[in-house]
Amino acid sequence: MELDFLATVLLSSLSSASILLIATLGLAVVYGLMGVINLAHGEFLMVGAYSALTATQIGLPYPLAIPFAVAMTMLIGATVELLIIRKLYGRIFDTMLATWGLGMVFNQAAVLIFGTVSPGIGMPQWNFQIGDYSLAFYPIAMIFVAAVMLAFVYFLMTHTVYGMKARASIQEPQMAQAIGIDSSRVNTMTFAIGCGLAGFAGAILLPIIPATPSMGLFFAVKGFLTVVVAGPVALTGSAITALGLGGGASVTASFMTSVVGDVFFFLMTALLLWLYPLGISANWRRKL
Amino acid sequence: MFKVTNATGGYGKTTIIRDVSLEVKAGEIVALLGRNGVGKSTLMRYATGLIRATSGYVEIDGEMAPPSPAKRARLGLGYVPQGRFVFPRMSVTENIAVAAASNGFDAKKTVEEMLEDFPLLRPKAADLAGGLSGGQQQVLALARALAIRPKILLLDEPTEGVQPSIIDEMAGVLKRINADREIAMLVAEQNLDFCLSISERAYVMEKGAIHMETDRDSLRADKELQQELLGV
Repeated sequence: MELDFLATVLLSSLSSASILLIATLGLAVVYGLMGVINLAHGEFLMVGAYSALTATQIGLPYPLAIPFAVAMTMLIGATVELLIIRKLYGRIFDTMLATWGLGMVFNQAAVLIFGTVSPGIGMPQWNFQIGDYSLAFYPIAMIFVAAVMLAFVYFLMTHTVYGMKARASIQEPQMAQAIGIDSSRVNTMTFAIGCGLAGFAGAILLPIIPATPSMGLFFAVKGFLTVVVAGPVALTGSAITALGLGGGASVTASFMTSVVGDVFFFLMTALLLWLYPLGISANWRRKL
Repeated sequence: MFKVTNATGGYGKTTIIRDVSLEVKAGEIVALLGRNGVGKSTLMRYATGLIRATSGYVEIDGEMAPPSPAKRARLGLGYVPQGRFVFPRMSVTENIAVAAASNGFDAKKTVEEMLEDFPLLRPKAADLAGGLSGGQQQVLALARALAIRPKILLLDEPTEGVQPSIIDEMAGVLKRINADREIAMLVAEQNLDFCLSISERAYVMEKGAIHMETDRDSLRADKELQQELLGV
């Protein structure tokens, strides 16, 4: 009985941490490999969610709606990089302002097109039992999705030529150019991938988090803090931070209230940034 | 083969090199001498395109060099910067592979070739470059530059921070590369002995300009100039 409760708490906390990680990974890629903080990340997630929703509404099955959302957000991401981000390289605060503004535009555009309330997506509600407790299957499946997503990004960045070029470009930008890497093309690709990951997150989380124009804000804040706490080893750092902060907050919330969970999240963030101003991974010897 | 003509440039509004012209012929090793702060590194960066030219131009292998550093690399300009600047969170293998792949060469083959040529890198192949010693990083920076199959190699203070026993070895390595691969080299140095051991000809820089052109024998004979270059 007690054990069942603990297992339930553990699973659902792991699931919350995974959801945070899924929503954050795109941000981590863009920050970790371009040094750009994309404050419109949450809105890209929202665009992904609406793309998937619209796709299902016009009759596409949900599994096909996800790649559609990824393609849409990658395309928009590449366009945004070419038109805006490219002109602001190395100006981190200007990029933040620009992407923040862009987020507002996306947000209002969504209000105009879709209105402020939108229908959820009809998904079968599968549940399973642990002792007396019933858990929804889909949120728990996100643990697996987060693991696969993490493995995919890690493979992409460490085992492909593009990934090597992207890492070289952020580690020593001038030397990367001097050995023949066309860094502006690499950056367009990286930003598009980051946005595509946000789109994927919006689409895959749609059955849990319905699409609303302002849904991005919730993820933007926690995702942003996760990435900053993670530091330069963006991928491993973000995974561990999401697990620690997101999971910790969720455990705290299940024993107390969700407000206490959030307080835990922000206090821990402040504490970690005080201890590790450059992020927890500043001195790690790891690739990504 | 490699030519810099009337190079003028610097950082922001500060001009550091003025009207510098020099030439490296095919297969030649030329030294660029001068004390600290005379503009040797700036000239190197001008040649790679990493700083914008106020005026002047660069020719690589008889072709006018485009402004983009990446395109210059593809024309055959290799660069080993002062301070090495290897990619610290990438493995030794990846440092070489990314350079080869970015220029359309087979990454695996190039890495194997470089590990063959620089055996001291082999046991470190899977290690992150940031964890290597200064000398090892210098060798890696050289291997990375060679991976793009350059026709002209710019080396900026390759002996800086490298222990004396390895400096001798490095002179041998550079001579071998020069002979085997017919790669021309421009070497900026403060280490006079090192330069005399590898190059036939030298340019001496002073206050951002070429002060004189000389060769090995006259440099050996000119004690006064040696004193000046050694900064004593």
